[in-house]
Amino acid sequence: MNSTVSIAIVGSGPAGCYTAQGLRKALPNAQITIYDRLASPFGLVRYGVAPDHQNTKSIQAQFARLFERENVRFAGNLEVGSDVSLKELRSLHNIVVLATGLSRDRALGICGEGLPEVYGAGRLTRLFNAHPLQTVGMPRLGESVAIIGGGNVSIDVLRLLAKQPADFANTDIDDAALAEYMQSPVRHIDFICRSSVANAPSDPVMLAELGRIPGVAFSCLDPFSVPDDASRIAGARAKAIETLLETRGGPDTRVEVSFHFGHAPIQILGDGHVCGVELAATGSQGATNVVVADSVVTAVGFDFDEDDWHGLGPIQANATTGQLGNGLYRTGWVKRGSRGTIAANRACAKSVTEEILRDLPTLDMSTKPGHAGIPWQALAHAVDYDAWKRLDIAESGAAAEGRTRKKFPSHERMVAIANNHLAGALGASEN
Amino acid sequence: MKIQVLFGTESGNAEMAAEDIAASVRDGGQEVEIHDLSDFSISELQHDPVYVFICSTYGEGDLPNTALPFFADLSIVGPDLSGMRYAIFGLGDTFYTETYSQGATKLDDKLRALGAERIGEFGRYDASTWEPVGEKAVEWFSGVLTELAVH
Ligand SMILES: Cc1cc2nc3c(=O)[nH]c(=O)nc-3n(C[C@H](O)[C@H](O)[C@H](O)COP(=O)(O)OP(=O)(O)OC[C@H]3O[C@@H](n4cnc5c(N)ncnc54)[C@H](O)[C@@H]3O)c2cc1C
Ligand SMILES: Cc1cc2nc3c(=O)[nH]c(=O)nc-3n(C[C@H](O)[C@H](O)[C@H](O)COP(=O)(O)O)c2cc1C
Repeated sequence: MNSTVSIAIVGSGPAGCYTAQGLRKALPNAQITIYDRLASPFGLVRYGVAPDHQNTKSIQAQFARLFERENVRFAGNLEVGSDVSLKELRSLHNIVVLATGLSRDRALGICGEGLPEVYGAGRLTRLFNAHPLQTVGMPRLGESVAIIGGGNVSIDVLRLLAKQPADFANTDIDDAALAEYMQSPVRHIDFICRSSVANAPSDPVMLAELGRIPGVAFSCLDPFSVPDDASRIAGARAKAIETLLETRGGPDTRVEVSFHFGHAPIQILGDGHVCGVELAATGSQGATNVVVADSVVTAVGFDFDEDDWHGLGPIQANATTGQLGNGLYRTGWVKRGSRGTIAANRACAKSVTEEILRDLPTLDMSTKPGHAGIPWQALAHAVDYDAWKRLDIAESGAAAEGRTRKKFPSHERMVAIANNHLAGALGASEN
Repeated sequence: MKIQVLFGTESGNAEMAAEDIAASVRDGGQEVEIHDLSDFSISELQHDPVYVFICSTYGEGDLPNTALPFFADLSIVGPDLSGMRYAIFGLGDTFYTETYSQGATKLDDKLRALGAERIGEFGRYDASTWEPVGEKAVEWFSGVLTELAVH
């Protein structure tokens, strides 16, 4: 039976890749294709994980094995919804697994959110990562920015904004975006986290890392303590923050960071433009206080499109099942919501893979054309794994001094390089 | 001699290293089995195979969550492992200065406390080096095989 199973995985981020690993192990003869709308594989590992966290990005080597050794096909530059409909994709494969992630910055749902200087963290992290579909450029942050949200993505944003160009050695940060930001870097950052220090969603090591950036001074107005019976991680977080607070910056201080743990934003203030954020201590009815800010970056997670997703209606997170229909599944962030690290997607993919294998006897197992049945107009511009490797090599070759690679922020150019349509021009300088 | 490779992983790197070691053993014409510690019970531990533990580190220097039940069972049941031989390779990252590779160290301490005998050097892989983990693991394991040959 398995000899003819054809499987489409939509999205080549961690969730899609881990699912392909699991399905390949269980179904050695299945035809497995991972589709992605981008010319490059690996999703947020490439375009979300901060450019100065290259160790985290090195997981790409594990996923690359799928395409290099495990006979999984990569079909990039194929967007489900425009190049091929979900309906058509389902008709071409026995099993379709959506692993499309979530990219829309979640709204805060408070007054003032529509002001022009309120930006999503996804936009900033995509810019620093040279995401080709992030066409709106570097926002104007002014002197003071308030970062709302206390998770690891907030800390990524804080770190990227607080660093100087010299701190980005051996990264693949987008130099054009960095240069644009460095024309007027922020001088003050308010870090607003709804949870207490003990319950905050951040990794203590990420906090501790902030102390290694030269020229940054940290303060925290409210005293904090963690209960004696708090988890070890809470203790480690408190210790990391205490250590940061001891780093009272000297005369070389470029950036001041103020922590506000246990505070929720009530409204963003400003008449036409952001001038501050009103905060209230969580759990207390009482007084509010205002932090002055020229701009706000929201980092409170990522959302589902409320609109009709390829005819499936509005999608909600679901912790229990990955099944969306007969032969149709989802995994990763598009299943669970925007929670968890890369590793969490491995466990998630494992459970969805088990679900699929359990359902196999009930699925339509008639022979399907799979990838070969994709409309020729779409296949003609698709980027396969060899083409991606061409782009990969071009990126490494174009790396400036002190950079691990240069990512091209134009998707058209990525596709052209990958598919060798720039013959002879590869060595030319790239922007 | 039968070799059993047991891996504890959260993001899959230890599994990849385990697979590479298993492949190199197979290429050498020896028998090898590979298991995820999350699917392996301490009751399956025997005296004759040589066990190869490949294990990463998470949290505050802990074992990866998929290996925690196995580790907890070792602690609670406290089986007598005397006579059992094993080798161990830890994956970690020196970015985590204070807890570098501690997960594998905890497992090693436990196995020895229960009477098992470690063969060869404690292998360590530091993700900050950006070296290919599979190659490093296979290189380390060839040293273990040399040790085994003298034993
Ligand atoms: C800014 C940021 C930093 C992060 N840093 C870390 C970190 O340091 N460490 C860590 O462990 N985790 C980190 N994470 C979390 C981690 O990135 C996620 O857990 C993980 O990427 C989710 O995997 P996924 O496969 O569900 O989604 P994604 O990684 O988003 O992959 C989805 C893929 O689907 C493709 N796609 C979407 N729609 C379509 C379509 N219609 N047709 C075809 N393809 C489509 C996309 O192009 C993308 O490649 C970070 C997240 C963010 C946002
Ligand atoms: C959230 C997190 C916590 C980590 N904690 C530690 C640690 O305390 N000590 C260490 O040496 N490595 C730590 N690491 C690094 C991992 O052990 C390393 O990346 C390893 O290669 C992961 O292997 P795996 O994919 O098999 O789980 C941590 C990694 C993450 C993502």
